[in-house]
Amino acid sequence: MPAPRNQIELLQGTLDMLILKTLLFGPAHGHGIAKHIQQTTREVLVVEHGSLYPALHRLERNGWIASRWQTPPGRAREFKFYRLTAAGRRQLRTQESRWDALVRAIGRVMQPAPEV
Amino acid sequence: MRWPFRTPPTPGDDDIRREIADHLELEAEDVARYGAGTGAEAAASAHRRFGNTTFIAEDVRAVWRPTWLEQFAQDLRHGVRSLRRSPAYTLTATITLALGIGASTAVFSLGDHVLARPFPQLPEDELVWVVQRSPHECPSCDNASPAALTALRERATTLSAVGAAQLWRASLNGHGDAPSDLVNGYRVTPNLFSLVAAPFALGRGFPRDAGTPGRDGVAIVSYDYWHTRFDGSRGLLDSTVMLDGAPRRVVGVLAKGIAFPEAVDVYTPLVLTAANTNDHASRYLDIFGRLAAGATVADAQREAARISLQMASESPKSDAGWVLVPRPLNAFHNDDTATLVRIFAVAVALVLVAACVSTANLSLARTSARRREMALRAALGGRRGRLARHLLTEALLVAFAGSALGVGFAAWGIHAASRIMPPSMTTYAPGLAFVRVDGRALAFTLALCIAVTLLFALAPAVRATRVPLSAVLAGGGRGAAGDMHGTQVRAVLVIVEVSVAIILLSAAALLTRSARNMVNGDPGVRLDHVLTMQLSLPRGTADSGAREFVSQLDGRLRNTPGVLAAGVASTTPLSNNWWGTIFSVPGRPPQPNGNPLTANDQRISADYFRAMGIRIVNGRGIDAGDRADTNAQRVAVINHYMASHVWPNADPLGRTITIDSVPWTIVGVAADVHHGGLDEPLRNEIYRAAAQAPSTAMDLEVWTAGDPRAMREPIRLAVANVDPRAAVGQVMTMREMEARHISPFWLIADVVNTFAIIVVLIAVVGLYGVIAYGVSQRRRELAVRMALGASRRDIVSHVAGGAVRLTSIGVVIGVGGAVAFARLLAAVLYGVPAGDPATLVLVAGLLITASVAAALIPCWRAARVHPAHSLTE
Repeated sequence: MPAPRNQIELLQGTLDMLILKTLLFGPAHGHGIAKHIQQTTREVLVVEHGSLYPALHRLERNGWIASRWQTPPGRAREFKFYRLTAAGRRQLRTQESRWDALVRAIGRVMQPAPEV
Repeated sequence: MRWPFRTPPTPGDDDIRREIADHLELEAEDVARYGAGTGAEAAASAHRRFGNTTFIAEDVRAVWRPTWLEQFAQDLRHGVRSLRRSPAYTLTATITLALGIGASTAVFSLGDHVLARPFPQLPEDELVWVVQRSPHECPSCDNASPAALTALRERATTLSAVGAAQLWRASLNGHGDAPSDLVNGYRVTPNLFSLVAAPFALGRGFPRDAGTPGRDGVAIVSYDYWHTRFDGSRGLLDSTVMLDGAPRRVVGVLAKGIAFPEAVDVYTPLVLTAANTNDHASRYLDIFGRLAAGATVADAQREAARISLQMASESPKSDAGWVLVPRPLNAFHNDDTATLVRIFAVAVALVLVAACVSTANLSLARTSARRREMALRAALGGRRGRLARHLLTEALLVAFAGSALGVGFAAWGIHAASRIMPPSMTTYAPGLAFVRVDGRALAFTLALCIAVTLLFALAPAVRATRVPLSAVLAGGGRGAAGDMHGTQVRAVLVIVEVSVAIILLSAAALLTRSARNMVNGDPGVRLDHVLTMQLSLPRGTADSGAREFVSQLDGRLRNTPGVLAAGVASTTPLSNNWWGTIFSVPGRPPQPNGNPLTANDQRISADYFRAMGIRIVNGRGIDAGDRADTNAQRVAVINHYMASHVWPNADPLGRTITIDSVPWTIVGVAADVHHGGLDEPLRNEIYRAAAQAPSTAMDLEVWTAGDPRAMREPIRLAVANVDPRAAVGQVMTMREMEARHISPFWLIADVVNTFAIIVVLIAVVGLYGVIAYGVSQRRRELAVRMALGASRRDIVSHVAGGAVRLTSIGVVIGVGGAVAFARLLAAVLYGVPAGDPATLVLVAGLLITASVAAALIPCWRAARVHPAHSLTE
């Protein structure tokens, strides 16, 4: 399925940050995380499912998130839920500040402040 | 145990599959909810969006794949676990490695420091010892003439400095009440200490002009003597000591451990007058030189040969045929020890071979025994590289444990060796005090042993993983075709081990028997209850004074309680000292080779023969009536050897010999004494009355009723009462004298014995391993034999026969090697023929017995198993 024109490919490494940010609001399963990112960005960012799961497992292996099989409300069986760990929280803060710096830097290039 | 790189538990395949399936299900629900399709359509749409589930699942799995470091940690944990499961292998391999590494490193370090680098504090590589030899007249002479020193100093460009030393004995006269000490010293050219760059604890070397007459009133004291005689007092510097009655100012104390050229107490300047420096005829100096920058020993030898030719043409009478030969400094001590070095080198090499072979053998046996495990793991998806790495890690663990233990063994061995080493050894091997574990030797043995371990762990592992699984698994316990090869390799290794063990064991037996022969041998003198010491009267004492001293001492000791007999002689048997004298037989033409007749000159008092227990076999001994009066006959007693060599067909009694133009009448023949020790050939000996041939230096021998050591002080006191200026030195019992002489031989025997025991252990363990493994592989076959009626005895003798066959081949090869090694040993053997058949038979029998015993254990075990059990296994 070709990506619609108004969709943007995720920058390398940003997916990790988005997953961590999403989990800040509470545990979620993979599908939920993908859906949340998509909805929050009003479908601008479409999470490639093929890269979502390796990313989740990489984050878990690094100890930034933890997983557990549990039954969500309104369901009769267990799904694999991910939650943020303390290390993940720290990692998120680092990535956020780095992201801010990046955005500001790019912004300065794209929209230079008028000379005083 | 917690590893620092611990990761969360890897999710199972099932887990990953379920997670992906859940995602697809939820996605399909969403698709359906937003009306983009239902049922199969929605599912297909979700699937399309997701992509290839198999690939993604694989990507997820890849995330969890361990990294190199984690794999290593895993291998390590696995290795430790599997080694702990087979403690017999682990212990044997570790200890074998440790023994091999430890023993060879220790002996190499000792040999290198003691024999090759005897002066570790000096720039040994730049120093040479120059000997003066004549291929015809004196091929093994060392000492050089003062004229040679002068020539080298003036002409040699390859030597930046040349100095000389001469051993002497002096008495150091007491400070206040302290008795006089007989000291050993060197007279050295003033430049010698700066030439060898010797460090000083106090003060410095001699002033430049100390070699000129009148300016030589200075002395340097060795570190040890500074401590034993002067309590290490700093006040010794610049104080005055009396040496042979002359005052000398102490200008320096040598640093600890400086024993150059040998360990002595004091050094004084060597005074060479103008006449001395041109003396070509007397050769009494040890010459040392420092190589000029860029010059090698070979350069110096070429130049010295040229200078020798010049000297020969300038003064052909004295120097024709004599050559100056600069040699590396370590040669100064090495002539005595070269054989030792070679024996130790061979022994070390053999131990190393045995350790490596045994390690290889153990590794092979272990990998072969684990063929099934390896094949199974390979079948379950273990990749060959991974399995090999696993085996390698395990081998490395053993190698490192063995190495660590080996370093400990080496350090302990060196410590123990320097403790059991007799103190007298430091005279010949001053480097002994500085022995450390030698880094190069350690690196070499470690590398060798680890390489062998890894090689033999890996080679069969690679092969094992290549053998088709079915062959191994279906083979049950019988072993597949590839295994035959492993068994053959191990058989060869066992043969090598056995032959090495035979070589070392027979060497050890020969050396032990030789040392025991020396202890049990009769040197011809009393060894028990004899106290001996060196005495020296002040220089300048007249003949009459020396005569008076001996006669008064004689009288006083006769009346000292506890003394059975006491007498003086020029040198004590077994003391390593000689007094040579030249004599002639009137009316007899000179010897065909032109050499004069020589003898050991003993000037004794009447009771010497009785004190030392030397029998008179013909005529009489020296007695109190042999005086210096002009009308008394000058008499001599000769030893039996001299009697039978100089007068082979006649009675020597009443005949005359001439010494220094004075005739001496032979009145008796004494039994032979092995003056230089049992390993030295007998020589001519002439005993004369100290009264008729007086001397100011003598050795006193006292035969005591009780413990001779308890008589030290009474006898010193008696000496001091006769003449307080008489210096006393080297007080020891004859047993101590004997021990000092024999202990180097015990030392060799001990070292080689230790090695032999280690190697025999290694060989027996190796044989046990091979037989035990062979039995375990053949359990089915043996069970079939038993089921078909073979008795237990048949089984045992069948299996033990294999062990005997292997050992016998090893024994045959080993005996050949042992005979070759014995030829090298011959130089230090006493009273044992080098190729002694009794020893070889004994050793071979011992080893065959040991190996059969080692083989019997697995045989017995095999025979006890019920056939039904083995067959249905």
